[in-house]
Amino acid sequence: MLDISQGARRVKQASDKPPRPSDAVTGVEFTSFVDVLRHRAVEQPNDWAYIFLPDRGGERLTLTFAQLHARACAVAQTLVVRGQRGDRAVLLFPPGLDFIVAFFGCLLTGTIAVPIMVPRRDSSRDASAAILADCTPRFAMTRRDFVTNARPDVAERFRDDALDWLFVDALPAGLGEPECTLPFPMPGDVAFLQYTSGSTSAPKGVIVSHGNLVNNSEMIRIAFGNTRNSTHVSWVPLYHDMGLILNVLQSLYLGTLCVLMAPVRFLQRPLSWLRAIHDYRAEVAGGPNFAFDLCARRHRAEEMGEIDLSCWRVAFNGAEPVRANTIERFAETFAPYGFNPKSTHPAYGMAEATLMISGGQRGAGPVLRRVSRDALQRHQVIAPLRAEDSQILVGCGRQLCGERVAVVEPESRRRLPPGLIGEIWVAGPNVAQGYWCNSSATESVFRGQVAGGGTERWLRTGDLGFLDEGGELFITGRIKDVIVIRGMNHYPQDIEETVQDCDPALRRHGGAAFGVLDRNDEEQLVVVQEVERTYRQRIAESEMVHSVREAIARDHDIAAQEIILIRPGTLPKTTSGKIQRHLARQMFLAGTLAVAE
Amino acid sequence: MRPESPSEAAIRDWCVGYLARTLDLPEEQIRPDVKFGRLGLDSANSVYLIVELEEWLGLELAPDLLFEHPTILDLARYLAGRAAGETGVG
Repeated sequence: MLDISQGARRVKQASDKPPRPSDAVTGVEFTSFVDVLRHRAVEQPNDWAYIFLPDRGGERLTLTFAQLHARACAVAQTLVVRGQRGDRAVLLFPPGLDFIVAFFGCLLTGTIAVPIMVPRRDSSRDASAAILADCTPRFAMTRRDFVTNARPDVAERFRDDALDWLFVDALPAGLGEPECTLPFPMPGDVAFLQYTSGSTSAPKGVIVSHGNLVNNSEMIRIAFGNTRNSTHVSWVPLYHDMGLILNVLQSLYLGTLCVLMAPVRFLQRPLSWLRAIHDYRAEVAGGPNFAFDLCARRHRAEEMGEIDLSCWRVAFNGAEPVRANTIERFAETFAPYGFNPKSTHPAYGMAEATLMISGGQRGAGPVLRRVSRDALQRHQVIAPLRAEDSQILVGCGRQLCGERVAVVEPESRRRLPPGLIGEIWVAGPNVAQGYWCNSSATESVFRGQVAGGGTERWLRTGDLGFLDEGGELFITGRIKDVIVIRGMNHYPQDIEETVQDCDPALRRHGGAAFGVLDRNDEEQLVVVQEVERTYRQRIAESEMVHSVREAIARDHDIAAQEIILIRPGTLPKTTSGKIQRHLARQMFLAGTLAVAE
Repeated sequence: MRPESPSEAAIRDWCVGYLARTLDLPEEQIRPDVKFGRLGLDSANSVYLIVELEEWLGLELAPDLLFEHPTILDLARYLAGRAAGETGVG
């Protein structure tokens, strides 16, 4: 069993001094990841930077630091000939190491990388089209065999976008850096755009600067207590900020090895992740909460063999709410294999803060707090009055070095004292520059001003939580309408639109999509949708629900938990006609929806 | 090791039961001739289904299995053939 501390844990506050990105061994300072890459290529040319573990029967891929630099230079050669500084390049890669080569090719030349998820074969409403429209890329970077053999539909899909396709696997080996002068990135220069925010139809690209990247990398290094011996093992996709920044960039920053595997391989064989941690004696490995659940559920004693997890020092858990029962079950299941429960490392972050906002200290273990479930529903933190009213919250660590985290009452914008729930606001060198070509969203999200707090600008996270007396941050809910499933953000308005496109009987602007927790405390999708009276017939209705399920799986890759058709005009809305998703959710949970008969 | 491999019908029934539990739907709504996509199966659930089938049947299966065999009927026919082929003696 894990300790549950009712009160705050007193640990010394993170330093107020700004982080100083540098190599922990040589002390050489880093202004950008271009510095980091060059430094590694010179200092540790023949050390392994990355290994990609293949699926069954495939070939193991490796890159040393020098090889990474050389291949990135080959990409840079092409980019300087065919484009110019500031061009955008979408990165569309199958799992492997080419993504990393392309990413660094972009950094070297001042080309702005835009990692995106490869659209599913049959999806009609994925985010890629709108992302391309938003960032207007000159280049699309991928592997030749991927678009010619495996997924010809990808090139077909973007046929009208006049993209210059660049196949990073088909370039001649680099002969060092290009002859022409490469730009020397300044801290404020744009490094890449991270599109994980905004709806499918109106995506928002977070502008991450070079300064943001090295600063957050240093902040992560301090929180995780990482060193050059902190080998990483990751299955998290590289277009996801956690996969890129917390694994691929952090390991390069440290000068250590990052072992990668395909996300689908992890889903199929979660224990292969644990086996790789054992094989490579990895210190750092993590993922969203569901990954730990999956490992515990799929644990088979007979498949564990010699696996020894005592090397695993930072099992970070972030990108979706951290559940007490998950970390407890995981620790119980894998303690017999040497897993130390104190390695559990809950963290909190988002792309708007480059990646990480808060985290614990290496080896300190999670901070758990028992609170009243009823009071939490009313956004109050008090001890439970009865056993059945008890809920365990998992702390997400404390503010990082050089950063400030505040809890603010969102209407009055006043700072709240410890123990009170409000919106989480963040200031620090990791806060990104804003959204690409979207000044109004940038203004409302990145330019928050605390009442009576002077002119300082804060990032408004849209998440709710509180700080305890010791500075531990607890996340308790969200103001923003977003549904998080397996670490991916989904926006209700996108899902509602997909639903309403299925059948004319499903009223426009008459649906609400929201998340509810299932019996495993995992977030699941529920859709409530008004259906026109004239179309209501029992048989057609079950067909309609099937169509809705099919469309949601096809366009959003979510298996909906429940689709509820309700009588027209009964969806809760404000007087101005705004859908009240929170109220619809409460009515669903209370069973008071006007279900269509 | 298996004395006799499961029949096509047994695999079909197993898939219906499994998907009904996973998707929280009544079994009569899981029609074996309906495409998996129509049932609202997402990619993670597709992978989990394949893994369960691998464990049960002792077979190695491709990750895009449901793309090649898009209904329970197709899938059961294919798997029964594979299971008989790989576990049959002579």
